[in-house]
Amino acid sequence: MSKAADISRRAVLGAMGAAAAGFVAFGPRGAGDERAKGRTVVDYWEKWTGHEGRAMQQAVDEFNSGQREVFVRYFVTGNIGQKALIAIAGGTPPDLIGLWNFNVPAYAQSGAILRLDDLAAAEGMRLDQYRRGVQEVMTVGRGSERKWYGVVNTAGTLGMFYNKRQFREAGLDPERPPRTIEELEAAHARLTKRDGQGGIVQTGFLHGEPGWWSWLWGYHFGAGIYDEEADRATIDRPEHAAAYAWLQRTVRGFGRNDKEAADALQLFRDGFGNYNTPQNAFLAGKVAMELQGPWLANMVEEFAPDLDYGVAPMPCAAAAYDAANPVALVDTDVLCIPRGAKNPQAAMKFIAFTQRQEITERLALAHCKICPLLKASEGFIKAHRNRGLAVHNALADSARAFVVPKTRAWPEIKDDFDARVRDMMKLELGVEDALTGLQRRSQASIDLRRAERLRRYGA
Amino acid sequence: MSDASGRPSAQGGARAPRMHRRLGRSLAGVAWTSPWLVGGTAFILLPMALSLYFSLTDFSLLEPPMWIGGENYRRLWSDPRFWLSVKNTLLFAAVFIPLATALSLLLAVALSGRLRVAKFVQACVFIPTLVPMVATAVVFSWLFNAKYGLVNQLLGAVGVAERHWPNWLSGSMTLPWKVGPEEQASLPLAVPALVFLSLWSIGQQVVVYIAAVNEVPTELHEAARLDGMGPVGRFFRVTLPMISPVVLFNVIVLTINTLQVFAQPYILFRTKDGQNDDGLFYTMYLYDNAFVYQKMGYASAMAWIQLLVVLILTGMMWWVSRRFVHYRAA
Repeated sequence: MSKAADISRRAVLGAMGAAAAGFVAFGPRGAGDERAKGRTVVDYWEKWTGHEGRAMQQAVDEFNSGQREVFVRYFVTGNIGQKALIAIAGGTPPDLIGLWNFNVPAYAQSGAILRLDDLAAAEGMRLDQYRRGVQEVMTVGRGSERKWYGVVNTAGTLGMFYNKRQFREAGLDPERPPRTIEELEAAHARLTKRDGQGGIVQTGFLHGEPGWWSWLWGYHFGAGIYDEEADRATIDRPEHAAAYAWLQRTVRGFGRNDKEAADALQLFRDGFGNYNTPQNAFLAGKVAMELQGPWLANMVEEFAPDLDYGVAPMPCAAAAYDAANPVALVDTDVLCIPRGAKNPQAAMKFIAFTQRQEITERLALAHCKICPLLKASEGFIKAHRNRGLAVHNALADSARAFVVPKTRAWPEIKDDFDARVRDMMKLELGVEDALTGLQRRSQASIDLRRAERLRRYGA
Repeated sequence: MSDASGRPSAQGGARAPRMHRRLGRSLAGVAWTSPWLVGGTAFILLPMALSLYFSLTDFSLLEPPMWIGGENYRRLWSDPRFWLSVKNTLLFAAVFIPLATALSLLLAVALSGRLRVAKFVQACVFIPTLVPMVATAVVFSWLFNAKYGLVNQLLGAVGVAERHWPNWLSGSMTLPWKVGPEEQASLPLAVPALVFLSLWSIGQQVVVYIAAVNEVPTELHEAARLDGMGPVGRFFRVTLPMISPVVLFNVIVLTINTLQVFAQPYILFRTKDGQNDDGLFYTMYLYDNAFVYQKMGYASAMAWIQLLVVLILTGMMWWVSRRFVHYRAA
């Protein structure tokens, strides 16, 4: 090797030293903010982007400029459940996390989020300020063991969105949507259209669209899937068999035999665009009735402003129908203070701020959701862009509003449900076999979690 | 060593500086490799030791680990989803590894000449490996779309009626024989779809094989040709034995990567409808247990079983290779 090509140790050390000095001099700095000086800083992780994220950012800015004690730093974080898990486990969590409602029971049971009873009381907040269904999401435990773990900042209830134009075209009354599953099936038959080759071009109703709640059909037949008090899966109840028999009946209607029907449906569904696009199956007119949350109204406004839609409670089986107490899932976003948060009191101050009537309502308007507080203002109701607001409110107040089962085994049970319902939709698995297996495995998961809890906490 | 006056002897005096120099060199070597030693300890050895410990505990990440001995391993034995993921992964490996190796070798032999067009084709084969695998998987999820995907559109172009188009990502293909009195045999299409996608990115192996094929001495080919050997014979009797160490290396690397396949099936087979069970692979289930179900102990047990399987397979390949791999003398 020539002398010129040699690199001396001194030169290498010099270069490394220069690089280190450069890093120190010009490298990244902490996210310093002049406005935060002298104030307690609250780091807040939230999952929202787009207009939903902007609405929260506005609330944060308003809070920061409205007082001199606390400064909230707002971080938009994708895949928040997993990142929160790792941050809490690593002992470096933020002060506040915007979780999904289904995270709350598992996080609460493992002590990963703080109990808010005292913190909330110090800020003058009470549980009974919230709608009945919303309170369920915020708490874990029953009776005197019920404890407060999260504060709902936006809430929605699932109702049935339907396309009024397609109802009129099919000779159905757009002001009288189906109330029972039997009526829904009849409407579905009239709304389903095929092309010359027998391919599906429009359906009345599809269980798999949008496909997020494969497990809840039994609730609309009168049975839940989990008994919290008994800590027992209840998928073996006959109402579930009736619900999934309805699902398979719907699929079988698309072909002369099982394979043809399942393939035809899959082919039709593969023609749907992504959810948050104008090619969304409901917005594009491919599905006339769909189980959805109030946020869909935002998408209608953005992608299909001319769509003439209505909202009604999701129909129930005739035997389970009760006009005064419709059945609906309450789906929410929840603010929680993680274990290890540096400034829980300051975080609670910000939470309390977001729960002021005007702030909550502004956030709900931006998300097109309901106001989680017991009473909504006239201005909120007038300004709301969702035609079905009254329906969604009534659903949240219903005695039969329900929440995601509060068990740590829920993620496994849900994944299993999704996979088995998928098999049932493909008509590759019978209802009885599917539900028997689901009951057995779900109960095994629940038992395992109970055993783990007993081993660890002895209660 | 010193003399009676206590001064170092001439011999000892010469040895001491030499020892100092040697020690100095050793220390310098350790200092220069210390980033890797520290990094390897902190990011490989320590996590491995911790994961072995976690595999023997009930650990949810959110609570401290609690010793349960071999219970996680025992539960794996009776977990049907674990076995489903094992079956899918091994099936994929059994189809993909031989196919990828054969295709890479074929392309390497075809492209190893000095034709200008060969360089162009080499580049075309290699370019897909530069595309992030997530992007490739997203593109393929659209190519396989039953309704609008290019694959089925091509089937339509050659006259296959739309109602016969396969659902590549969630369906199965009916086979002409029966597996029971009523039940027709069927082949889930998830594995063929994933194999097809994975074959798209074999460029790196092809490039390695081309380099190896070009290294085979031409005189060996000429001698074989003089002996009347045709191109197929020369490939099996000259080229393949000569590049067998490279084949062994590639097959081992491919096996390790295949048994860890994650991103592509995650994108293809995990849709808003949930997981397509035909596309549940080992590392996906491991990830679910660790980060979705909060069973880090259980996931750690899965990781250790995966490591052991990879080690055993690699060991078996080394053992078998003694008969089939030829190393040239220096």
